[in-house]
Amino acid sequence: MNWVQTFMTVAMFGSIYSVLTLSLNFQYARGGMINFGTVAYFAAGAYTYAILTQAPPSGLDQYLFGFNAPWWIGFLAAGVASMAFAAVTAWPTLRLRGEYLALTTFAFAEMLGSLLLNERRIGNGSVGLPNVFRPDFAWTGVPDKYVLTAAAVLLMVATALSFRYILASPYGRAIDAIRDDEAAAEAIGKDIARLRLQVFLISAIPIGFAGALYAMVTTLVGPGLFKASVTFFVWIALVIGGERTVIGAIVGTMVLLGFQEVVRAIPFESVRVAQIADSVEHMMTGILFIIVLRWRPFEALTRRRQKA
Amino acid sequence: MTLLAQYLVTGFVTGCFLILATIGFSLTRRVEGFLNIAHAELLGVSAFLTWGLKSLAGLPFLLSAFTAVVATAVLGLMIGRVVYDPIRQQGPSVLLITSVGVAYAIGGAMNAIIGTGIRTLDIPLATTYKFFGVRITDYQMVVVALAALTSISIAVFLNRTRTGLAIRAMSSNSDLAASRGIDIRQTSRATWLLSSGLAGLAGVMLAMIATLSTEIAFLQILPIIAVAILAGLGSLYSVIAAGLIVGIAMDLSVYWIPAGYRPLIAFGVVIVVLLIRPDGLSGRKAS
Repeated sequence: MNWVQTFMTVAMFGSIYSVLTLSLNFQYARGGMINFGTVAYFAAGAYTYAILTQAPPSGLDQYLFGFNAPWWIGFLAAGVASMAFAAVTAWPTLRLRGEYLALTTFAFAEMLGSLLLNERRIGNGSVGLPNVFRPDFAWTGVPDKYVLTAAAVLLMVATALSFRYILASPYGRAIDAIRDDEAAAEAIGKDIARLRLQVFLISAIPIGFAGALYAMVTTLVGPGLFKASVTFFVWIALVIGGERTVIGAIVGTMVLLGFQEVVRAIPFESVRVAQIADSVEHMMTGILFIIVLRWRPFEALTRRRQKA
Repeated sequence: MTLLAQYLVTGFVTGCFLILATIGFSLTRRVEGFLNIAHAELLGVSAFLTWGLKSLAGLPFLLSAFTAVVATAVLGLMIGRVVYDPIRQQGPSVLLITSVGVAYAIGGAMNAIIGTGIRTLDIPLATTYKFFGVRITDYQMVVVALAALTSISIAVFLNRTRTGLAIRAMSSNSDLAASRGIDIRQTSRATWLLSSGLAGLAGVMLAMIATLSTEIAFLQILPIIAVAILAGLGSLYSVIAAGLIVGIAMDLSVYWIPAGYRPLIAFGVVIVVLLIRPDGLSGRKAS
């Protein structure tokens, strides 16, 4: 087993997914909103980046648009697109509470997935968009992989710091107040609907950036990469790491991804054995998840227990 | 025109299946107070148990189906007691998230045991009947009949029997029900048995009318959620109306747009409903 290889993979994808976990932490643990459609914002970012930077369609391509834009335009647009999609989802759903919100965000994510799968004019349907543009890193003199990993870590740190900055401000205390006691917050003049909308939109931006970076890493976007399992992965990571802490969200993601990568790195004799190992890993993840929620080994959770 | 009628009939059958699949989900929501994402996995468990007993062990179909339903009901009760009961104090959000973990565990276990690939139940091929140019198979008729029978039985059960009334009392106010001498624990267990048993029944239907693969269970949760939201998370009777609406909307849409969009239609209906009536068809507030 190649430990360096595994470590690099975990560091790179772990950082990307950590951005999602951090955003979810912001939405759920601080904003009190259950978003079960996280993957949709990720997909929106990745597709936007791919579509903006790719060449116009030729040959067998079925997509309609390709703009040949420089990578940084694609990257910035990914954040905007993710936020725009968040605005579309927030409009009918945000006045709903708790589980209704969970279900409708889930529904919107499934609808986006279905659209990307069936509508060939957006991104070649089920085939996806291959050869997504990756910026040229030759001038750095380091292999692409290391540059991308560094970029992922940078994005993660930037996200963590921005969220921390926001939450430490009076604005952050207003968000906490709404989650802890909506009526009291309203009574002292906080516009609840507006604040919740803002939290929802702000937290979508880094997810879009992460999507763009993901597209650069894999150089392929397709509906198969953005399934509900991504959302559930992020949720499980968040719960394992213990909500409400920035470090917890990152550690949870890295641990979960590391666990999966180690299982995947084991060489298997046959396809069937590999398939069983994969299923068992799936099962273990689920059980781990139940156990963590049941016994709550993390002190960071105490504040939310009071609320429930 | 005949084609349109055909889609309407197929949609009606889909709707009947969805009613069967959603009643249990909705019942859990009312009594236990949370959305059980793992409900759909129970459908898969039951479908594969039926398949295993019938096709591998060679038991008669009815016996296999019956065993599968009972086993699923017991499994549901066990999961309820072991997993959900201890964390009930932590509120519906934690229960909802936990049920995702349960769905993962069941799904992974099924994958490990059964493996990938497509299975079919070796029951006699469906006989197709034709009325005014519209086709319907005998298995589809069984689904419709069972959905009707189950809905009526549930209605009678909830209105006439002691346990049924206790379930209804607990679903509207469990503290009040407890103070009036209803055994909360017993009632909760009865609910788990009932709702998981219904999932088992729906699973048997699934085994009859669909080809089975291990992803099939997860695919069912989407329309189930759609029906449950449309019905209003609190109500049972509106599940029937909502099931038919979603089923017919999904299948009828195939007439105009590609079949790949079926799930999208289900949720399109849901979102429109949420905009107009945020509490679903029943209009009752889900607390």
